[in-house]
Amino acid sequence: MNKLVMNFLVTEGYVEAAEKFRMESGTEHRMAVKKAVQCGNVEDAIEKVNDLNPEILDTNPQLFFHLQQQRLIELIRNGKVEEALEFAQEELAPRGEENQSFLEELERTVALLAFEDVTNCPVGELMDISQRLKTASEVNAAILTSQSHEKDPKLPSLLKMLIWAQNQLDEKASYPRINDLSSATLDDPTV
Amino acid sequence: MREHIQACKVHSHPGVVFFHFELLSRLASSEPEVKLRALREVKNQIIGNRTKKLSFLKLGAVPAVAGILADSADGVIDKNNCNNNINNILVQSAAALGSFACGFDAGVQAVLDAGAFPNLLRLLANSNEKVVDAGARALRMIYQSKLAPKYDLLQQKNMDFLISVLNSENENVSGLGASIITHSCQTSLEQKALLDAGILEKLVSLLEGGSLSQRDASLESLATIFRNNSEVVSKFVGPEIGRSLSSVIDLAKDRHPRTRLLACMCLIVIRNTSPQLLQNIGIKTKLIHILLELLDDPGQVGDEAPFALSSLIAQKEDLQKLALEANAIDKLQYHLQRGLLHPRRHEGILLALADMCSKLESCRSKFLSLQALNLVADALTNDSADIRTAACTCLKSITRSIKNLSAGYFMNEMIVIPLVQLFLDPSTSVQVAALGALSNIVVDFTTRKSIFVQCGGIRQLVQLARSMEPAVRSNALWALKNFVFLADNRLKEGVFSELTASLLSSLICDPEPSVQEQALALVRNLVDGCMNSVEFVFADDGLILGAVGRQLQRASKPEIGIQGMYALCNVASGNEFHKEAVMHQLFPQMVDKNQSFMIKFLQSNESQLRTAAVWTIVNLTCPSSPGAYGRLVKLRNAGIISQIKKLENDPCVDVKLRAKTVQGHSEAFGVQPLLEHQTS
Repeated sequence: MNKLVMNFLVTEGYVEAAEKFRMESGTEHRMAVKKAVQCGNVEDAIEKVNDLNPEILDTNPQLFFHLQQQRLIELIRNGKVEEALEFAQEELAPRGEENQSFLEELERTVALLAFEDVTNCPVGELMDISQRLKTASEVNAAILTSQSHEKDPKLPSLLKMLIWAQNQLDEKASYPRINDLSSATLDDPTV
Repeated sequence: MREHIQACKVHSHPGVVFFHFELLSRLASSEPEVKLRALREVKNQIIGNRTKKLSFLKLGAVPAVAGILADSADGVIDKNNCNNNINNILVQSAAALGSFACGFDAGVQAVLDAGAFPNLLRLLANSNEKVVDAGARALRMIYQSKLAPKYDLLQQKNMDFLISVLNSENENVSGLGASIITHSCQTSLEQKALLDAGILEKLVSLLEGGSLSQRDASLESLATIFRNNSEVVSKFVGPEIGRSLSSVIDLAKDRHPRTRLLACMCLIVIRNTSPQLLQNIGIKTKLIHILLELLDDPGQVGDEAPFALSSLIAQKEDLQKLALEANAIDKLQYHLQRGLLHPRRHEGILLALADMCSKLESCRSKFLSLQALNLVADALTNDSADIRTAACTCLKSITRSIKNLSAGYFMNEMIVIPLVQLFLDPSTSVQVAALGALSNIVVDFTTRKSIFVQCGGIRQLVQLARSMEPAVRSNALWALKNFVFLADNRLKEGVFSELTASLLSSLICDPEPSVQEQALALVRNLVDGCMNSVEFVFADDGLILGAVGRQLQRASKPEIGIQGMYALCNVASGNEFHKEAVMHQLFPQMVDKNQSFMIKFLQSNESQLRTAAVWTIVNLTCPSSPGAYGRLVKLRNAGIISQIKKLENDPCVDVKLRAKTVQGHSEAFGVQPLLEHQTS
């Protein structure tokens, strides 16, 4: 049970609660990475991932590309046009050479530079906060996988399964039922 | 936009190179803090970035980092330096070296050349967990490359070390143990040694109770230990280890795509090693469905999935049929036409299609109905040699379709011209594969061979018949042989004038048996048909016929005898002069009858060889030709007629019927076979 709760806390990112269990050390780092991407500090996030486990970005080209793409987006957001162009050429173009679909995504991103009003241009959704969240959750999932955790917490699905099973049973039999999920005590059937 | 970005990519900005250079100089700093920061920066620059790995490699970063690792591991760094700093330096330098080695062979070589390997091994004994992690990760990266040093599993002390590594609580360390096995276990002796050392049980426990990465590493190692070793497989599925096979089957349904792929690959190895296992149709279908679904994975797993599918269905009609029913061809074709494929995936899909279409006409029809042929033709001109080879292999399978060959469906510019261009490919394997595909296409039952002649195909094939590579020579002759099959005399003359009697006779005597066989088969097809064709072997004073006779005297394999004998058989169907020339080859002077290859061939276990030999005698003794009586007497005196009499009850119907024909010929002339004791 402890493991299950821990799994829930870790996966959902309740840092303080999880610390009380004093088990998982990776969580704090992972949350810091996620937060850094959400705030637009992508370079900082990359360094943190590499400190956590250098294999993650070395063996996951798609994630690495998306982080670099996010870095480019942040440069464009901050109006650093020249830096953005240089970054696209030095860091991203070689990845596009290695993978055609990256090249297409890169082209879409660089297209942001062509518009005066980036938020209302055809590729404007890249500038949206949701793009950051998308990238952040991709990093989060990769770190979890590297730590052998599931991407989704197990507790909610187990509870759902319990309720479903009890509902099914209710129609067919009387049995010791769990009515109070928080205490999980078995109540004798009312005859 | 595309042009712009690619154009700018070619050379790094001078400022960038300077920055890299400056960073390296900071690595040499005597200040531990500066050094540590520089190490971390190098690491962060190169992770995930192949271009930067290469650029730092060229600047000499690997020996520099390896030097820091060596100094820190020896503790030569400033004594005042606190432990924490040393550990950090060890972690960062090991991580940087690991990244240089990750998926990058030049980096692996540089790390090995810099002597970092033993120092990384030493880190495994460090008391700091993070140092151990970093060392184990770096070593695992190295062991994922072919260039890694092979670990001698037959030495007891090495085996002890391996066991201790596998027993480690640290998942990076135990994962390293599995990587060492995957990389180093190659022979059945090594597989047996691992089995005897109890490694199988250890790997099974990682499989069942380990973390994600331990499970994956264990599946890979297990497949390595099982490959072609039914003894180890039977141990694995046997009662002692019990339900481990079902654990692997369960993992094939795991939620992680990579685990699913590795479990499938492990099951495929088990099946290919011990075909009696995993025969139930449910498992077979499930494997096919899982692999087809894994094709959708955008990353490495999806790139490797078609290769796994290939090894599952190769040479197995039942599985090809199941895969067809599971819409494998539609699915593969769908991915192929989407374009933008990673080269590895592109190659794999073509090879999987090649295996799918290798045996069943229903698969080929399905493939052709999807208009997929042009996608394969496009791949013939791909930049990657592996893809070109795979495209040729695929074409070779598809062009086995007699129905479509007869319709002349493949003899067109879209296919023939790029194929002929591949004859000059710098890669031998591409050349061989292109010749293989072309060999099928030129077996044309219509008269459309002109496209091939017009684009200079014959001249190129003859050039390749002179190649230094035996496989290229043999496949070029194969293609020529098929080209002249049932061709009219004009086309044959074209081939022969390009080829010349002297080249053909020297190829008949080639040092390589497979080349001899194809050269003789080419002669056989050349002289097949009308009387004029027979004349080819008499050019240049019978140079070719003499070569055929000599090769038959010393035929090292039955296949050579069969082709040579059929060549003689076709010549013997000619006029009196031709028949006498064949007799001369059967009985060259100085050779007594006990050494006659004819007797040897008639006694052969190969029914085809016996057939060819008896047919030749039928042609030589045909009563309508004036010299038949004389030849019969000569053959009888050599014991050949009595040998043929023994074949009248041959299990092979062909041999039996022809033997009776010969008997009929000798009775017509009243020539009785000599009795056994008279011939000895």
